[in-house]
Amino acid sequence: MLPLLAELSADPATMTLLAGSDSGAGGIAIPFIAGPAVFAAVYGGIYRYYRNTDKRHHFERETEVSVGNLRSGDRKVGENNRQQDRAMRGRNSTDHLQRVHRIAVD
Amino acid sequence: MSVPPEVPDRAHPDRPAGPPRPGGSVPPPPSGQQPEAVAEAAEAARRDAANRIIDTSSGQDDGLNKCPSCGSSEIRYSLTEKALVCSYCRHTWNEENAEEAFGLDSSIADLRGHTMASGTADVREDLTTVTLKCQGCGAEVVINVDQDLQARCHWCRQTLSINSQIPNGAIPDAVLPFQLTREEAIERIDAFTAKRRAFAHHRFKEEYVPDNVMGVYIPYLVVDGNMHAVLQGTGEVTTRQYTVTRGSGDNKRTETYYDADVYGVQRAFDLLVDDLTIESAERFNAQDNAQATNNILNAVQPYDTENAVIYNSNYLKNFTSERRDLNVRDVDDDVEDHFLAIARAKAVPTINRYDRGVRWEREGVAVRGTRWVSVYVPVWLYSYADSATGDSLTHYIAVNGRTGTTMGSVPVSHPKIFAVSCAAGTVAAVVGAIVGLSQFLF
Repeated sequence: MLPLLAELSADPATMTLLAGSDSGAGGIAIPFIAGPAVFAAVYGGIYRYYRNTDKRHHFERETEVSVGNLRSGDRKVGENNRQQDRAMRGRNSTDHLQRVHRIAVD
Repeated sequence: MSVPPEVPDRAHPDRPAGPPRPGGSVPPPPSGQQPEAVAEAAEAARRDAANRIIDTSSGQDDGLNKCPSCGSSEIRYSLTEKALVCSYCRHTWNEENAEEAFGLDSSIADLRGHTMASGTADVREDLTTVTLKCQGCGAEVVINVDQDLQARCHWCRQTLSINSQIPNGAIPDAVLPFQLTREEAIERIDAFTAKRRAFAHHRFKEEYVPDNVMGVYIPYLVVDGNMHAVLQGTGEVTTRQYTVTRGSGDNKRTETYYDADVYGVQRAFDLLVDDLTIESAERFNAQDNAQATNNILNAVQPYDTENAVIYNSNYLKNFTSERRDLNVRDVDDDVEDHFLAIARAKAVPTINRYDRGVRWEREGVAVRGTRWVSVYVPVWLYSYADSATGDSLTHYIAVNGRTGTTMGSVPVSHPKIFAVSCAAGTVAAVVGAIVGLSQFLF
């Protein structure tokens, strides 16, 4: 129940909804954003410090690995203009544990 | 990853069995085994001929691990000496480094197919007892190998050890002996919990007894891999950044936009992975934290598995050990995922030019060769389960028995955290209200 409450208060959709108001109403919304946000941050921070549910062995960085014979094949395929996000959509270059479509390699 | 050929397995009908040992150097089966089991092993050997097996057994089956100096079987592992000590002549020694002794340190680049140390053979759950003939007095002593690997002869008091490799998962290829003493481990666990008392559950604080810390040997499969990895995806490079002003008057605002070139990205490279470790006891599966905080045990890695020594049951005396119950074929999908994760991590420095990031969409590895070794690694473990609440989750505080790396899970008092979070949230809301009101009014 309590972690659920924390998650709900930290819901980015809620934040966006509140922050998306015009400037005057945005000022009024600040306490409604700051209160739940700080609640969620404190709750989540203490919980993680005690339970360490996010801890694991980062084998992908700590295992001894030699890399060689690198071949790159990059080619321009188009443009993606007038984007509001600084980062591309769906980037996963730092999410090493997320698996994507498997291909057969010879 | 291509896996060893399938062979029947009594314990897991839907799983294939693993590699048998090579012909000449295989120790005779323990006397508890039936002729059918031997025939089954021979059949497995025939089907499994594609795998290269390295025999890591001691070549003995007499149940006697003797002191090399005086021949006594009264041996224990001393944490102060960090060596095996003979209780009679005080001779101290350690077994040979397993990698060097068994040639497991040969170049990973030369690996082809599957090379398996004989201690990674498939587990037979039905093998629960082994009968040893005491070499001192001739008595037959039955050992329940599900629980013990040593027993004292009830006639002549000689210590008998399981020193042949029996396929029940209890005998690894190598052991990484404890380096950290129990007192050092307790100090670390004390320091860990001392920082986490304020919001700890009150029953945990009342029932916390660090003296209950236990030395446990946990089974791991250590994998070397020689492979070729291919990653394909899309990357974007920013070509222009600009701001656009919209609206007017009070509604005037500026928005930032980015133009980018889109590239198809491909990286292909060879990888040589050295000593990747995988949990091989199901109850310590790092992905399953439903019953116990297994991620804690995972987090105290890495271990210096290259320093593991040849198995000798006396290293396990006065410690507990968990039997391996996962076979190579049970974990090879996980291992392939690990290889892919390593490939993805290694590709990061090669995609720096894509400042908007890369979205990998296809990936694969061609595994040219693997080498599998089963190793017991040492952990000082404090476990706590709050039985009063009916919560069956076991919280571990673990100390790496080699490096002292400590990690743990302390049960929390939710009402206390809730109260503090509410207080902090209220303060933030009040401060926010003052700031917001000042913006609104002025």
